[in-house]
Amino acid sequence: MTWVEDDAARQAAIAARPQAALVSAELPLRANLAALENIALVPQYRRDLDWADASGEAMALLEQLGCTGCAGKRDATLSHEERFQVKLLRAVAATPALVVIERPGYLLPDTHYPPFVEAALAALQDRFGEGMVIDYAWNAPLYRPR
Amino acid sequence: MLGFADPQRRLRRRGVAFVAWAAGWLRVLRFGGAAIVAALSPSVYNPATRAMVARQIYFTGWQVLPGFALFVAVLSAVLVRIVEETARDFGLSQFASEMTLRVLLLELIPITAALFVSLRSGAAINTEIALMNLRNEIDALARAGVDPMRFEFVPRLVGCVVSVISLTVLSCALALLIAYLGVYGFFLWGVPDFTRSVGNVFNAQITIGLALKCLFFGAAVGVIPMGEALAGAREAHVAPITVLRGMMRLFFVLFLIEVGSLAFKYW
Repeated sequence: MTWVEDDAARQAAIAARPQAALVSAELPLRANLAALENIALVPQYRRDLDWADASGEAMALLEQLGCTGCAGKRDATLSHEERFQVKLLRAVAATPALVVIERPGYLLPDTHYPPFVEAALAALQDRFGEGMVIDYAWNAPLYRPR
Repeated sequence: MLGFADPQRRLRRRGVAFVAWAAGWLRVLRFGGAAIVAALSPSVYNPATRAMVARQIYFTGWQVLPGFALFVAVLSAVLVRIVEETARDFGLSQFASEMTLRVLLLELIPITAALFVSLRSGAAINTEIALMNLRNEIDALARAGVDPMRFEFVPRLVGCVVSVISLTVLSCALALLIAYLGVYGFFLWGVPDFTRSVGNVFNAQITIGLALKCLFFGAAVGVIPMGEALAGAREAHVAPITVLRGMMRLFFVLFLIEVGSLAFKYW
């Protein structure tokens, strides 16, 4: 967990981790592709997999997070929660060492997001090295004390 | 009086506008160079890129083929009739088929194919890339490890080049058939004369020139809308201007290529 006080600090925190797989409102899904295709793009281009293998991996990720229902939906028809899940899956599709979720409250405006984000990261914990959330300090009371 | 009051300011404004105009062309050229080099690099083509190229050729070339073939058939029939009638009136019937072939195959069909692909796909590509740029989707792809050049730009460029060349070749074959039927009717006795006329028109220099012209047309239709869209400001109200500017630049370049090819051929 990284608390930041303002936008400049948030941007500095992101810039300090250039290799991290980032989940951010500023990094949208490709609008003319379905959720499954957005996730499958990563193995298709990072490991040169063909569509059959890449879409199989993407579907396995969707199953692991329990959101196979959104596989065929495009960005405009996804709910905030589904969009967050697809962005998270796109980030972990490359099995990164570090996944950074920045401003989860901006991504999940209608959800009590700390437990939702925690559950999503827990469900995918075998797919990445370390998970990190960057949030504003004034949202700290929303998180349960550790 | 106000117009002459501050010539220095007017001059400066024009200078700024000219620099912005030249910078726009430079950005498009720089992007075009990078995209063409990428398109010629075998390492760019993984299974996903090949699939995207096939999809772009389908959308850009295959889907328009019936409509374009019909258009070319009507245009060819009308032109053959006009040239045939006029040549007969002036006692120049022996030159009719060669004249028709020169006008139709070397000039009209290639530029019509390029304009057809520009209007159908160039405008769509320009708008789509401008919106992707506006929504930050290109950066998002790059951050996820998906090279936008391989996934978005090269397939569109190759799709446009292949489509312009294919539409031109197929339409030329159709126009040849219509020209023969228009001049000789449904008889085979004109085949040797017609073949000689085709041979006279398509010498090696003209054929290479036609192939290069189609290649330049295709590259322009692919590169200019994307280059302009990527250079546009990331503001929603600027998107229509970006698309407009891209299409204007494209039409300017298409006509420049056509005029250049005419000058090269006839001077």
